[in-house]
Amino acid sequence: MTQNEQNGQGRGNESAAPSLIRNIVRTTAILLIIIFFVVPIIRLVLMSFIGDDGFTSEFYREMFSQDRTYEVLKNTLIVVVGSTVIAAFLGVLFAWLLAYTDVRFKNTIQLFVFLPFIIPSYITSLAWVEFFGPSGTLNSFMSMLGLEQVAWDLYSMSGLVFVMGISHFPLVYLFTVNVFRRIPREMELAGRSSGAGTLTAFRKIVLPMALPGIVGGAFIAFLGGLDNFGIPAFLGTPADIPVLSTYIYQQIIGFGTSTFNTAAVMSVVLGIIALAGMGIQWLFLRRSKRLETTTMDYTPRHHLGKKRLMVESVIWLFFIVTGIFPLLSMASTSFLSAYGLDYSLETLTFKNYSYIFTSSSTVESLTNSVKLASVTTIIGILIGTMIAYYRVRKADTTIKLIEGTITVPYALPGTVLALAMIFTWMEPIPGWNPGIYGSALIMYIAYITRFLVLQVRSAITAFQQLDTNIEEASRISGTNGWPKWRKIMVPLITPGVLSGALLVFLSALTELTVSALLYSSTTKTIGVTILSFQQSGYTLYATAFSSMIVLLIVAAYCLLFIVQAILNRKVNH
Amino acid sequence: MTTEVVNINKSFGDFRALNDINVTINDGEFLAILGPSGCGKTTLLRLLAGFESPTDGMIHINKSLVADRKTITQPEQRNVSMVFQSFALWPHMTVSQHIEFPLKHHRYVDAELRNHSKDRIDEVLKIVELEPFAGRLPGELSGGQKQRVSLARAIAPKPELLLMDEPLSNLDAELRLEMRREIQNLHRLTQAAIVYVTHDQGEALAMADRIIVMNKGHIEQIGSPEEIYHHPKTPFVATFVGKANIFEGTWENNIFTPQGTNEKWKDIGVTKELISENMYALRPEQIELKHAGQNENFGEILTRQFQGKEYHYSVRYNNQTVIVYRPVSEKFRVGDYVSLNPLGNH
Repeated sequence: MTQNEQNGQGRGNESAAPSLIRNIVRTTAILLIIIFFVVPIIRLVLMSFIGDDGFTSEFYREMFSQDRTYEVLKNTLIVVVGSTVIAAFLGVLFAWLLAYTDVRFKNTIQLFVFLPFIIPSYITSLAWVEFFGPSGTLNSFMSMLGLEQVAWDLYSMSGLVFVMGISHFPLVYLFTVNVFRRIPREMELAGRSSGAGTLTAFRKIVLPMALPGIVGGAFIAFLGGLDNFGIPAFLGTPADIPVLSTYIYQQIIGFGTSTFNTAAVMSVVLGIIALAGMGIQWLFLRRSKRLETTTMDYTPRHHLGKKRLMVESVIWLFFIVTGIFPLLSMASTSFLSAYGLDYSLETLTFKNYSYIFTSSSTVESLTNSVKLASVTTIIGILIGTMIAYYRVRKADTTIKLIEGTITVPYALPGTVLALAMIFTWMEPIPGWNPGIYGSALIMYIAYITRFLVLQVRSAITAFQQLDTNIEEASRISGTNGWPKWRKIMVPLITPGVLSGALLVFLSALTELTVSALLYSSTTKTIGVTILSFQQSGYTLYATAFSSMIVLLIVAAYCLLFIVQAILNRKVNH
Repeated sequence: MTTEVVNINKSFGDFRALNDINVTINDGEFLAILGPSGCGKTTLLRLLAGFESPTDGMIHINKSLVADRKTITQPEQRNVSMVFQSFALWPHMTVSQHIEFPLKHHRYVDAELRNHSKDRIDEVLKIVELEPFAGRLPGELSGGQKQRVSLARAIAPKPELLLMDEPLSNLDAELRLEMRREIQNLHRLTQAAIVYVTHDQGEALAMADRIIVMNKGHIEQIGSPEEIYHHPKTPFVATFVGKANIFEGTWENNIFTPQGTNEKWKDIGVTKELISENMYALRPEQIELKHAGQNENFGEILTRQFQGKEYHYSVRYNNQTVIVYRPVSEKFRVGDYVSLNPLGNH
């Protein structure tokens, strides 16, 4: 009965004292959220308006009077829209194939779909250059066969658009595949028995029902495109194709007179576009809610028959060309003694790896990233799980506002967040510089605010899968305290919380955008180090370091699957 | 131990789920709360458990106040146990761990029982006949076995008030009949007071000492199963519990004349409440059909369903559809004209 769920919490029989504590906790939580999540945004907006002589709109006027601004906006638009179209097409196609057809090895295919999602986009860029680029493996192979060279200069608009599209299609897939599965097959069958052919039924029945999910996923890809810094930094900057995220970065790094103000103006523009995108996406997802009640149907609806083998071959060819070969090319480059050499016994070497493992700068960046990622993950688990629990069980206005607020730093492009962090923590109170900016502390703050929502989301899912009755059974058996958590709740939410934690850990470990703006000489991260190797021409080190990171990521996921399998073995029979 | 519910009201926003509910649950009594979905019966049960707080009114358990408008005693602090509709088993815990949990944590478990929890686990396992499954996880059990675990967990701490929220509705029909007997057995063994929520009048009639019939947040009638069945006080109780047909007409000197006829039906135990509303209730098996002759008020057979030992007819009579059960020895055809009288009305 739904009305029973609305009122979760009875008023306690304890009187004044505990409710005072509760109020203090609530107020502190709201204050912390405001300080860490709201103030930075306000400071950023203020920065775009306040110059040496006080409040002014001069920076906006100046920015919109420059041709360069329009060029950046145009580039951004092309890259983001183009990559979104590619991501939406691939995402919907794979979602349809995996949800409705009888292709085999669906679990393996799904793993490969997620590959571009779990590998940082700057590593994907690097790998694509090593495979498709003019001196890449594909070309060497073609010339070996005596075929025409098919060099594709990835340092171009088309390179940007394709790599970004490939990197973001898993997002669209994720949003769409369960929407497809939730559409009852009878809907389509009813259409067919009313005389519609397969195509008509898809066009007139399935597609309109799935549209909110598809559009929601496409907007996520759109936001991802705005946010992405790695791909334009690796592929766009060398070819002088600035987009908003890299242009803001260059402004900050360039240290002109009013650069902070100009960067703030551009960040506000970028932030507004992103938040508008998020708003539209939210509207679409609200509309798709009505499908959520129906259960997911995993059995195939379309049997491909003789075409199945062909479809499967195309799928695997796609993965090989876009995923496996580029990564292998990157890995093999990392063993070359000098860039551009052909592969032979004499040219192969481990010296790139020995440099990575011994050079103080790489080892330091590795430790930095591991420390940052670990702390972010642990704090995320503690705070994120708590927020998620109140969000699921109490669902009052305060907690909904908190949830919305902590989503903002993740939805905002990383450059915007980093800039907001600089403005806030350089001088938290005007005139007082505690030295947070420039130290590791600002990076911890930035990482936690950015990634907290990932942990909250996965914990929310974990709690939602727990029937309220499971918890009520514990209360009626006499405990609502520590034993309830230790014996019942924790064991049941652990698998879900762990997968969120791994996502947070890996996102933080390979983070580039925020750290690129916040790092100092002692707080370089993995992403920053790979970027600087690439930018200063040490491609071999970049490929070796990247290959190692990919191995680490794959190993971490294998570990997660094993742990989850052990945890779930008991529960699911 | 008695439980008293006094003038309880409960609203969810604008929706009034419960209106002025008054009921006393006696020591060791089996009380069924019967009503259609949305009538407020589950809300009342959750108020007794402590999962909801009343908008107004009071609840006393064993003479101490556990809920009123301002304060409530949390479920974990009440001497109650509950069996959930969805079983609410903990997927990672074995059958014996389920039984052990309340023995360890329930506040009202006496020291004797807590210190010998192993013996109590064995005893409970035996009562619910799950001894061979003590080490199994819920995922390895059938629906009926899961329900037994849920019952075992609830009775283990020897609560004085046992709440059951439609415990059989997730089981198939055959198993439901079997579990009815088991719950009756449990009631006899534990001597706890049971409040049993159900929408199935068969379950309520079969097991309860008393039944509360609820509709739209009100209590329609409280009484023994026989009273509720034979002497419904409201048209809702008559139709919901006995599937009765309600006739409107006029009462004169204990004789009822259905509207638009000159029939004379004798009183067969209609309650004064229905009489005052000029109504007459007849359950389907209380109606006699005869082929209609001339000068009689007749009905027309609309449908006939064969049900083994009897036929179920729907009969068009005086602009209303009347349901009648007749033995297979009397067969009418669809379209036949029939006269309609209370059984033994001559």
